[in-house]
Order: sequence, then C-alpha cells, then structure tokens
Amino acid sequence: MISITHFLVVSAIIFSIGLYAIIAKRNAIMILVGIELIINAAILNFVAFGRYDKLNYGGQVFALFAIVLAAAAVAVGLAIILAVYRKYKTINPDNITDLQD
Amino acid sequence: MNEAVPYISNYIDSIIQAVPYFKTEIILAIGFLCSIFGSLFLDKIWKNSSFAISIISYALAAYCNYQQYDALGTAFFNMLHIDRFGLHAKFMLLLALIVSSILIQQHFQHSTSNKRKGDIYTILLGSSIGMSILCMTSHWLMAFIGIEMVSISSYILVGYFAETKKQTEAAMKYALFGSACAAIMLYGLSLIYGFTGVLDFADQKHMQGLIDAPKVMSGIALLFVLTGIGFKLSFVPFHLWSPDVYEGAPTPVAAFLSTAPKIAAIILFSRLIQAWGNTLFYFSEILLIFIVLVAIVSMLAGNLIALRQQNVKRMMAYSSIGHTGFLLMAALGYMAGHQEALLFYLAIYTFMNLAAFAFIDLLEKQQGNSNLSSYSGLGKQLPILFTLFSFVGISLVGIPPSAGFVGKLFVFSAIFERYQEMGDMAYIWLLIIGALTSVISLFYYFKIPLYAFLKSKTNESVGQPIGWTPSYIVAILLSILLLLFGLFPSLLMQLF
Repeated sequence: MISITHFLVVSAIIFSIGLYAIIAKRNAIMILVGIELIINAAILNFVAFGRYDKLNYGGQVFALFAIVLAAAAVAVGLAIILAVYRKYKTINPDNITDLQD
Repeated sequence: MNEAVPYISNYIDSIIQAVPYFKTEIILAIGFLCSIFGSLFLDKIWKNSSFAISIISYALAAYCNYQQYDALGTAFFNMLHIDRFGLHAKFMLLLALIVSSILIQQHFQHSTSNKRKGDIYTILLGSSIGMSILCMTSHWLMAFIGIEMVSISSYILVGYFAETKKQTEAAMKYALFGSACAAIMLYGLSLIYGFTGVLDFADQKHMQGLIDAPKVMSGIALLFVLTGIGFKLSFVPFHLWSPDVYEGAPTPVAAFLSTAPKIAAIILFSRLIQAWGNTLFYFSEILLIFIVLVAIVSMLAGNLIALRQQNVKRMMAYSSIGHTGFLLMAALGYMAGHQEALLFYLAIYTFMNLAAFAFIDLLEKQQGNSNLSSYSGLGKQLPILFTLFSFVGISLVGIPPSAGFVGKLFVFSAIFERYQEMGDMAYIWLLIIGALTSVISLFYYFKIPLYAFLKSKTNESVGQPIGWTPSYIVAILLSILLLLFGLFPSLLMQLF
C-alpha cells in the first residue's frame, strides 16, 4: 500500500537533487533543470495532498497552474541563455562575471 | 467530480456576480490584447500605437479603480479582497506604470535596434495584471500566479533589449535567480497546503493547521515561502540580483523594477504578516524575529555597500535595498494598525525612485554612461536638473522639507507607538538602525551634488543640451510633488 509518506519522501528526494543542481552551478541549463526538478517535487506534493482535500480540489488546480507557469518561465529562461551564449560562447555561470562590485 | 455537479450553477452564478469587482484587471487584459495587435499590424503605420494603447488602458483602469471605492467586498470565493488598502496601492501601481512607460518611450525613441519596440509595452501591461492581483489577494494560488506573471515579464523587460555582454549577463542572472526562488517558494507552498488543507492565508483554519504542524516543518515551509516574496522585495539575503540587474537593464526598466513590483510585493507581505503575525503562538514570534532581523540587515547592508559604489545605478540599487528594509519596518507598522504610514511611505518612495531614475536616464543619454565621475562639473551647465536631482537625494535621505522626511517620521512614530504598547526591545533596535542608516545614506546621496557642483570638469567634451522632453517634465513634476507633500503632507495623507 502506498501511503502519503511515500509521496513525501520521493518529493523530498527530488527537491534535494534539484537544489544540488542549482547550488553546484556548473552550467546554466543544469540550473534550469534543477529548477524544474524543484517545481515537479512541489507539484507531486500538491497532488498527493490534494487527495485529502476533496471539496475544493485546491491541490490539483494549483498543480495545473504551476505546470503552466513553470513552462513559461523556462521558455523565457532558455531564450535568455541563448542570448548569453551568442555573446559569451559559454554558459558556465562561473565564467560570466562582468558585472561585479 | 460527481459531488460537485449539483453546485455547478451556483458556482457559475457567483462567478458572474464577481466580475464587476474585477473590472480594472479586465480592462488591463483587453489593453494587453489590443497592444499585441497594435504592435503586429499598426507598427508600420503608427510607431507609437502600443504606447498609446497602454497609456489609455492605464488611464481607464485608474478610472475604474476610482469607481471601485463605492463597491468594496470580496469576490471569486474570497480569492480577491477589494478594500481601500488594495485600491490605494493599485493607484500607485498605475502611476508608476504610466511614468515608466513614458520614460521607456523616450529612452528607445531614437534607438536603432531593429527589434519591435511596441512589444515592451505589451509586456508592461501583462505585468500590471499580475501586480494588481497581488494587491488584492490573500490566496496562495493567486499570489503565486501574480508573482510569476510579474517575474516572467520582468525577465523579458531586462533581456529583450540586451545588446551588450553586460546586459545579457544581467538578464541571465535575474532569470535564473528568480526562477530558483519561485520554485523554492512553490515547494514551501505545497508543504503549507499539506499542513492546512486551505490555500487562503487569512483563513482561521490555515493558522490552526500551521500551529498544529511540527515546529521544524512549519518553520522550514515559512522560510521557503518568504524566499519567493523576498526575491520580489529584494531584501537581504535575496538581494544579490538587484545591483547587477539595475546596472545591466535599460534605465527606465530599472525605474520600473525598483517601484511597481515592490509596491505589489509589500502589499502582499503586509497582508501576510497581518494574518500570521498577530496570534499568540510561537509561529508569530518566529515571523516577527525574522522580519526585524531582515529589516535591520537590509538597511545596514544596503546603505553601507552603497557608500563605495561609483556607478549611480548600482548606488540606487543598494539604496533601494536599504529602503526595502525600511518598508519592512513600515509593514510592521501596518500590522499594528498604521495603514496610512505604510501607504504614505510607499507613495513617496515611488515618486522619489521614479524621479531619480528619470534624471539618471537623462544624464546617461547625455554623457553616455552613468558613472558618478562623469557628473563632474556638470552643475553649471545643467543647474535646474542637478538642483532637483539633489533635492530628490535629500528626500531619499529623509531631511526636511522633503516628503521623504515626513514619510520616515510617520513610520518611526508608528513603530515607537508599537514599542510603547508591546515593550519589545526589537522595536527600539529597529528605530536605532533606521535612524543610523539614514545618516549613513547622507554620504552617498550627497556625492551627486558634490561631483556636480564642487568638482571641476575633467573632460571638455560638452554633451548636447537637455531639452524639454516629456521625461524631463515628468521628473520635474515628481520633484515638485516631493516638495509639496513635504510641506503639506496632509494633502496626501487625507486620501489614505
């Protein structure tokens, strides 16, 4: 029997992997992938919790909106990364440091 | 799903009844669509079609907003709260949007870029819908949608006209940092939803659920949620993006970013801490300590780092981080029932920042860069501009007779009253740091008149004179308003 704990553990693991991908900061695309992983962990949580909220279906609706907004944000992010690549010929954030104090 | 079937007609009825409460946003949405068509089809015939459409829709939205004062209430199953607080904030938003649209139009008037300029007004309209939603909601779903709408539009505004290396870098840092913060906020929201089962943060059940949840977990969820709001407000430690973005973005876009999204975010934040901060449980204490700490650190970090900036836009970025700390203080005042102190300071902050960025934009166009050293000796050439710019600086510090002084005074007295009621030392610390950092900020704002009037000219090349362009006139009007509200604060105060 799969209980809510299983969902929570899986989503916590996905969240941690995503957070690692962001903090490791190897490559701009990898950061975007990490962001997507965190969003998906949250969506999994929402749907799992939404099962207990039968009246309003708040969790499921939130999950749908989160998917749409994540897609929009990633589209913009990729376009900006493409513009950066054209100027710098690299997308490693450690090498892109013209703006500093 | 079957359980909902008998209620569907009820739901539809109440949705239809709620539509009149949503008029302002509907007008903005129609303007958004018209603006897209304008930039697609009318661009060749009339270059400013999108600009005109956006200004008209802001004006119409402001008119509808004014009418809304007679019809307060809640709409869409308590998702939107139409109250005077939100309506005042929406007026400020629309004003900031109109001014930044005019500045953007002036800035890109002569640009040779072959990108379609009309699209930038469309994006601004899109973000305005998100911001006005943020001003009215106490529902997490609406808040998240609003924050994402504003964020995505802001990434595009920063990145769309990026031509140099630095500009693309600013856009990338902004987009990645912003998306990461939004994602973490979403995870926090999912945890909070799990604890409470309700998405409305003003709901009684919501608070009860958070209190019943394990302490560590609800603390983590709270922190995650504040990450997303903190990014929009750019308080420490989520401020890292703002100096880079302000330096890299076109100046009018920086003017927009430093005012409108902050108004929306601080309104949401005030509603949040009013709902969560006034209970007797440990949860409110954690929240209060967090806000006091963040406000103190933001004021200190923003004002101290601003001291050693040579680029005016970077300096303004750090100064606005310091002001965010001050706004958090004002939000604490709102929690104690001083709505007018927060709104007054917010309005004055909007005027000051828009005016300052308008002057920076004018000077940047003349000099080709925005370094402080390029202002050397310009005071004699442009006496009116630099006198007013210095006055805006005075207002940002908070010295009489400027409106900035009155705004700070209201916030200080609200916090002091709160201290007398509660006797909590945290409030005294806030007052001390607030006063101290105002003094510190004197040193960097006064660099502007120092360079302009007291230093002699380094380079002999004289830029072209600044004519009476609309952006110059707007900046002058805003400065005059700052003086007027400094001398007669009741003019603005009686509105709130």
